[in-house]
Amino acid sequence: MSEIKPILSALKRSKTGAILLVLQIAITLALVSNAMSIVFDRLEKMNQQTGYDEQSIISYLVVTYDKRIDKAKQFDEDIQKLKDLPGVIEALAVSSVPLTRSGGAWALSTDPDELKGKSVDSGYLYGNHTLIGALGLEVTEGRNFTENDVVYDRKKEYPTVAIVSRAVANALFGEGKGLNETIYSGNNAAKVIGIIDTIKSQWPKSNIADNLVLLPLQDSTAYQKFVVKTTEHQRAEVMNKIEPLLLELSRGRVVMDVKALDKSKADTYASDRLMIKMLISIVVFLGVITALGIFGLTHFNISKRTKQIGTRRALGARKSTIFKHFLLENMVVTSLGMLIGVIGALLLGRKLMGIYDVPPLENMSILLTAIAMIVMSLIAVLLPAQRAANISPSVATRSI
Amino acid sequence: MLHMQNIGKLYQTEMVQTQALREFNLTVEEGEFIAVTGPSGSGKTTFLNIAGLLEPYSSGQYTLDGIDIGKLNDNQRSDLRNQKIGFIFQGFNLIPDLDLFENIEVPLRYRGIKAKERKKRVEQCLEQVGLAGRARHLPQQLSGGQQQRVAIARALAGEPRFLLADEPTGNLDSLMARQVMTLLEELNQSGTTIVMVTHDQELARRTPRNIQIVDGQVADFTLYQGGHVAREAINKTVGA
Amino acid sequence: MLLHYCDLAWRNIKQTPFVSMLMIIAIGIGIGVTMTTLSVYHMMSADPIAHKSDKLHAVQLQVLDDGYTWRTEDDVPLQLTYPDAKYLLENSPLEKRVAMVKSGAAVHIDRPDSVPFIQSLRVTSRHFFELFDVPFLHGNVWSESQSEQAALVAVISEDLANTLFGKTDVLGESIYLGERLHEVVGVTKTFQPTVKFYDVNNDPFEASEQVFVPFTHIEAYKVPSWGNTNGWKSEDIDSFEDFLNSENVWLQFWVEFDSESQKRMYGQFVMDYMTEQQKLGRFNRKALDYNLKTVPQWLEYNHVVSSDNKILVGLSFMFLAVCVANILGLLLAKFMKRAPDAGVRRALGASKTQIFSQHLVEVALLGLLGSIVGVLLAQVGLAGIRGTMSGYDLIAIMDWKMLLVAPVISILACLIAGLFPAWVVCKTSPATHLKVQ
Repeated sequence: MSEIKPILSALKRSKTGAILLVLQIAITLALVSNAMSIVFDRLEKMNQQTGYDEQSIISYLVVTYDKRIDKAKQFDEDIQKLKDLPGVIEALAVSSVPLTRSGGAWALSTDPDELKGKSVDSGYLYGNHTLIGALGLEVTEGRNFTENDVVYDRKKEYPTVAIVSRAVANALFGEGKGLNETIYSGNNAAKVIGIIDTIKSQWPKSNIADNLVLLPLQDSTAYQKFVVKTTEHQRAEVMNKIEPLLLELSRGRVVMDVKALDKSKADTYASDRLMIKMLISIVVFLGVITALGIFGLTHFNISKRTKQIGTRRALGARKSTIFKHFLLENMVVTSLGMLIGVIGALLLGRKLMGIYDVPPLENMSILLTAIAMIVMSLIAVLLPAQRAANISPSVATRSI
Repeated sequence: MLHMQNIGKLYQTEMVQTQALREFNLTVEEGEFIAVTGPSGSGKTTFLNIAGLLEPYSSGQYTLDGIDIGKLNDNQRSDLRNQKIGFIFQGFNLIPDLDLFENIEVPLRYRGIKAKERKKRVEQCLEQVGLAGRARHLPQQLSGGQQQRVAIARALAGEPRFLLADEPTGNLDSLMARQVMTLLEELNQSGTTIVMVTHDQELARRTPRNIQIVDGQVADFTLYQGGHVAREAINKTVGA
Repeated sequence: MLLHYCDLAWRNIKQTPFVSMLMIIAIGIGIGVTMTTLSVYHMMSADPIAHKSDKLHAVQLQVLDDGYTWRTEDDVPLQLTYPDAKYLLENSPLEKRVAMVKSGAAVHIDRPDSVPFIQSLRVTSRHFFELFDVPFLHGNVWSESQSEQAALVAVISEDLANTLFGKTDVLGESIYLGERLHEVVGVTKTFQPTVKFYDVNNDPFEASEQVFVPFTHIEAYKVPSWGNTNGWKSEDIDSFEDFLNSENVWLQFWVEFDSESQKRMYGQFVMDYMTEQQKLGRFNRKALDYNLKTVPQWLEYNHVVSSDNKILVGLSFMFLAVCVANILGLLLAKFMKRAPDAGVRRALGASKTQIFSQHLVEVALLGLLGSIVGVLLAQVGLAGIRGTMSGYDLIAIMDWKMLLVAPVISILACLIAGLFPAWVVCKTSPATHLKVQ
């Protein structure tokens, strides 16, 4: 390692190439570590537990325009017939479908006057007593809805019981509390009979991602959404049968948006997938470009120093010494680039965080990127260094 | 010291074959100072490269200080160059990125000498060539003569027993050339064997022994032992 | 002279095909990535109705009582309540204004083979077409009196006319919207702005509506909103009438001003209305507030260009910087190798400036070639984006402006990379390279 000093002084004297490399490596490190940090964050968000049995749920929408149809009765018949299909476990009308970015939200409060009590915004979702089971949810604390809890047709009255997500309970009543407390949405009061730990609202990317209140209320509207739970392997089959079956039972309506829940979730995260794809492409291309840069500049450095290498060989340097010399020189430059790059990465990370909704830069991301770059840089320099080592010492005596 | 017997060197490219040296015989005794001359293209540089272990030879036998060069691998040849041979190149071949001190230090580093010892040696050599105090200058800040003195200092740093000089005054004016020559003579007097390749007849005349290479073979006018070869060579040059 | 330089440059590029290719690929990839993200940014932020975007204003009223907050930066709701929208519509001092909401219906026609399908509708007052420059192909907007009587009429797009009837001239034909039969009184040409600026509530890049019905249908036929409805205080809503009179915000409102004074006058009109309403117990707040935002302001306010896209554009330019550093290195290597050549030219009388420009022309040519590679790569990238994101068909494309910008950025980037190497070459003295060594 005693070779480092002359390498440093040589670099100090022929700066241009080294500066260019340092610059490239620094920007690459700053850019890649931030990009990867965002990628990891998005992946983590996309893979969060939602609590729903995404692989076996279908949702659809029925728009009934023929006013002569008795919707409540028709929907009952629909559901009966759907349940007769092989593979269907449960089916019910719901106010909205989780994870789809569409539905209703309320301000829930500990007091009828929202401004007096504690309050929190939350999505709401209602259906009959089979709601929790059909969605594959598990009530962590308290109990599930029973048939007696269910209110049919909301014009008469609001349900008096509710199941809330842990996030809602915590926000209103404090960490770990909330069971048997009363929540208000305006003048409508409901007792919290159950709390669910793992659950996402209709807007899993928003600030109310974890806030959801479930109510035992069955409605029959002209714009009615439904959820069907099937066995996982028969879901595709059932999906194809829904529209023809329902239209056969009654005309005067349109059946649409027949969609698997995992597909709905994927659509919700489409922009994140795009972001991930774009960032990964940038990272890959950047890797290629930087590797080419290291390769090219080392190559150039070597052809510029052919005579010098021959002289060194004449003066007694072994092939391996020359090889190591260039590897070491590359490491010195790479390390310097990394050092600047880490600082740049942290600054860029902070800047991005300041302007946009970007998670804090993970140190792990910097570390992984740095390791990857050292490996890449080593690979890029191997070939030129090998070529340098093979320069014949006899070039030292050549006059041109 | 140096013994070459029937050395041949064949350069082979796709198009042409060139016989750079053929049946080349030469013996240099310990402590000699010889000048090798010859027209361009005669094989001077090839001889220098082979003598300095910079290039392998195609046939024949070469022993240096009793070591059979043909039996050495690349690493061993490198080490031998480092320990026993000093080079002075026509173009000085100083490493432009390194200052004088670092330039002279190069062969010592390859030999694995400790920093303290290196410093002593380098300073001593700089003193010897009259450039003490310029250790931190870069080669391009010096005149040609000074650069060549640095190159000599570098060659001396490793205390080689055998010094190969390739047109050591080729790029210098006559005053500088004389200075460099004087330096070499001093070295020779202190025991270093020197082989100097040059096309300068005046310079060659200052050395005790001259060899002429003609068409890849030796024509030795002073201390030649294998008479018929020389005669053949001479005949060739005169076109008989 | 330039032609001569171009010729020299082209020859030099051909002379070192490997290094030249490397540079063209490097700048090509840089431009490809940059143009992909920049094109999306450009289309997202492009003014969708450039010639009158600063005349059109979205109207917002601060309807919240003191103490309530909203998710906008100034806490003002994005939409209006029905009573407010209705008042502003009916009492407007200006002719060009529109109140509207998105709805939807099952569309079919009175033929046995017609299968109903869902279409989104725009329930709107008459001036929608005039304000937003929607040209009519046949017929026209419904009349004032048809509007007053909530007549069962509709305006549809030529595309929908074609889908339903197989022709565009369908005036007098009728279509079912749900259970009601509407007479077609107008057929518009295709209207699809890049951004659905007039209603960005759901997806700002979703398709425009193809069916338009009078605003008065809301009351007459209890037409529901298919867009966003937001409440801010708890109210007992038991009927559609309750809903209409509630403080829920769910309608969009736009006005067009021809002058600043009109805008001031309109502002006064809005303030007067709110002051009047305060007496009736609404707008319980110390300071009354409203917004009139032009189209660009409105899109900015609604964060139509996602921060993801801005980040990508920023990162792309950093990427381009790496490519520039890369090319700088390669150019340095290439030019240094050719320095003797430049030395000879200098000795033959070429000035420094000439050598410098000759090299820069070569660099610019590389940039031009790189931009061709870049544009091709960007097309692949944009196609990929269109495949990933539905609704990006009009966004993830390269318009002619971007097509022109690509070579400009590319050549500029290459020139930046080429300045230093060209300078190094031209400053070497002619003598240096004439010597053998």
